[in-house]
Amino acid sequence: MSLITIIWSMSASASLTLAGINFLVWFQNRKAWANLLFSLLATGTAAWAFCELWMMRAGTPAEFATVLKWGHVAVWVLILSLVGFVRLYLKAGRPWLAWTVCGLRTLLLLLNFLVGQNLNYLEITRLRHMRLLGESVAIAEGVPNPLILLGQLNLVILIVFLGDATVTTWRRGDRYRALTVGGSIVFFVLVSTGQSLLAFYGIVRVPYVATVSFMALVAVMGYELSSETIRASELGRKLQKSEAGLYEIEERMRLAVEGADFGIWIRDLKRNEIWATDKWRALFGFPQTERLELDHILQRLHPDDRDAFHAVLEKATEGDGSYEAEYRVVLPSGALRWIGSRGRVEFDGAGKPILARGVSHDITGRKEAEQETQNLRQEIAHVGRVSMMGQLASALAHEINQPLGAILRNAEAAELFLEDKSPDLEEVRAILADIRKDDQRAGNVIDRMRGLLKRQNLDKRPVDVNELVGEVAALVRSEAATRHVKLELAVANNLPPVLGDLVHLQQVLLNLIVNGMDALDEANRGDRRVSVTAALDGPGTVEIAVSDSGRGVPADKLRHIFDPFFTSKAHGMGMGLPISRTIVEAHNGRLWTENRNEGGAAFRFTLPIAEKDPTT
Amino acid sequence: MSVIVPIVHVVDDDASFLTAISRLLRANGFSVKTYASAHEFLAQRDADAPGCVLADLRMPQMNGLDLQSALAQTPNPLPILFLTGHGDIPSSVRAMRDGAEDFLEKRAPKEKLIDAVTRALARDSRERGERDRQRELRARFDVLTDRELEVLSHVVQGQLNKQIAWDLGIHERTVKLHRTAITSKLKVQSVAELTRLTEEAGIFPEIVRTFPKGQ
Repeated sequence: MSLITIIWSMSASASLTLAGINFLVWFQNRKAWANLLFSLLATGTAAWAFCELWMMRAGTPAEFATVLKWGHVAVWVLILSLVGFVRLYLKAGRPWLAWTVCGLRTLLLLLNFLVGQNLNYLEITRLRHMRLLGESVAIAEGVPNPLILLGQLNLVILIVFLGDATVTTWRRGDRYRALTVGGSIVFFVLVSTGQSLLAFYGIVRVPYVATVSFMALVAVMGYELSSETIRASELGRKLQKSEAGLYEIEERMRLAVEGADFGIWIRDLKRNEIWATDKWRALFGFPQTERLELDHILQRLHPDDRDAFHAVLEKATEGDGSYEAEYRVVLPSGALRWIGSRGRVEFDGAGKPILARGVSHDITGRKEAEQETQNLRQEIAHVGRVSMMGQLASALAHEINQPLGAILRNAEAAELFLEDKSPDLEEVRAILADIRKDDQRAGNVIDRMRGLLKRQNLDKRPVDVNELVGEVAALVRSEAATRHVKLELAVANNLPPVLGDLVHLQQVLLNLIVNGMDALDEANRGDRRVSVTAALDGPGTVEIAVSDSGRGVPADKLRHIFDPFFTSKAHGMGMGLPISRTIVEAHNGRLWTENRNEGGAAFRFTLPIAEKDPTT
Repeated sequence: MSVIVPIVHVVDDDASFLTAISRLLRANGFSVKTYASAHEFLAQRDADAPGCVLADLRMPQMNGLDLQSALAQTPNPLPILFLTGHGDIPSSVRAMRDGAEDFLEKRAPKEKLIDAVTRALARDSRERGERDRQRELRARFDVLTDRELEVLSHVVQGQLNKQIAWDLGIHERTVKLHRTAITSKLKVQSVAELTRLTEEAGIFPEIVRTFPKGQ
């Protein structure tokens, strides 16, 4: 058998084998389009090798022409699959060049069948024979088809396309592929094209031997693809191995996160979708399967916390991306839960935020403790204010109890003396004188206290009524809540400031409000209301009223309610109202009480408006 | 014994109240002495005389509680009643813990006051009797020599003659002689009687005490 036959048929069969293998690879994995295209390329090579061999052995010019005509089908397959392979495998090459090559080649294939004997020759006139590798092979001679110029243009465009793809791959940094695949393709296509051209124009008297170049091409690409396949399967094995490890790590991670009661979330900012762990969903009260978006979370947020939450998110995307937030969540059951969140926004190369991820956990316990501390602090402030009055009252009580005690004991003694058969009237007279003296003393104590408040302790300044009422309300709010009393405030708009000592006026208001709440201890929980109103009362005077929804002051007590030591409370000292009245009177105001028609008592006091300072 | 009438000592810096309460107490049949301050009372009191003290809790210089502790140092501490215009819990707790008879507001009901004073006087008389008896018992031990007292202290701890002799570095027979002297001088028949007597007289408070003081 001749060497030519051996080389060409072995090339064809090797190509076919590779084609078969790669077709099977594609058949197993339909996404492996590169393998399918390579399979076609190899098939085309095999077919062309068959045509070339036949042409070399052709007996007549007509036989040569027919084989060459059909050989163009193989070339068409070869070129199209080559272009496709390069696009797919190198992911490079300008698409318009690729389309131009493919379109032109298809057009040429059509023309191949329509014009002349084939694309190369209008007519092959005779065959010449020459010796190649010790054998006589046929070479065609005849009238060239002018369309062959288009074919040559096509090949030039193909080479440009391949060159461009190779350069792009090289620049992308994938130099290995650019060299092995791109470089060798360009080289062998150049070689085969050059050889065909030289043979065609008769410059070198050789038959078509493109098969050799094509075979080399197939070999290089086949090697590349199979090493790719080997690498893929290697990777698959490794992946399988590391997947087991990964699962273990994931499990540990999950354990740690759940142990710490953390919920993890990741927000895809592009798709506005949130992925979260089950724990996180439980924290926010979301079912495990529901699709989550930022809006869903915002709806769960306590209305008061939404703006702050937004502000935190915005700040995070502007700064370094990290953020921390604490907010309340209203669960579907209506319960409140405090959530602490820490997260980080991640940016793409252009600095655009693409992803945010973080952890959230339940901080309700801590928040409640903080709230309690806050309440306690307020309570202490409250006690401080109240005890100021309490201290005064206590000192006063001691002062006043002395003469009152003396009066009582004297009176008791006098009674006993008078029971005697012959009472010592001198003694009784002395007792009565002492009683009168002690009464005077008690009166003096009260006068002294009044004088004390009037003279030095008042630091009168313009006082904003709204502020006065607001501060006292803030002071008693927690106590009102624990006693289930609803505190209502109604201060008229644009009230002018009154002239007074803020601290003393607070004492008065505080005392009246606490009295009001005391009066409600027996009322139904729903009906416990204390309202504070403030309004202008004629020119130059503001009237502040504290009303409660209790039973009101019994008629017989109404007259004595401002007397010192008069009290209706089990532990009352009976000093609050007298002191309050003293303070108000020291402010040139009046303090009085009345039962309201709609029930309950109202304590009203007036204060003078601060004169406008002419300098301002 | 003493036929001296017990006296209610009233201590208060408020002269007016002092006069008034003494009138009331006298009208109820008590003998009353009044003092304007605790110092005045402590200076003037007859240490042996029976009675009780009615003191204001709040007084300048020496207050009621100070008076109470000063009184407790004397051989015949009188029961003390406190008066206050306005009772405060910490002081009353301390006063009561330290053995105050009662704690009264100045304007307490008359009956309560009279009851309290009566009770205080009764307590004084009772405690006085106990103290007198103890003094009498103690006087019986006066005839013992120092050595005999020493031996006695070991005997009431239940020590045998041999141990006592060893401890004191004397002969056992000498111990026996001392014991015989002690029993004949105190006119007791048995060790049990001797122990009980010693305990009642409070001769060796640091040794013989069988339960914590002040219970």
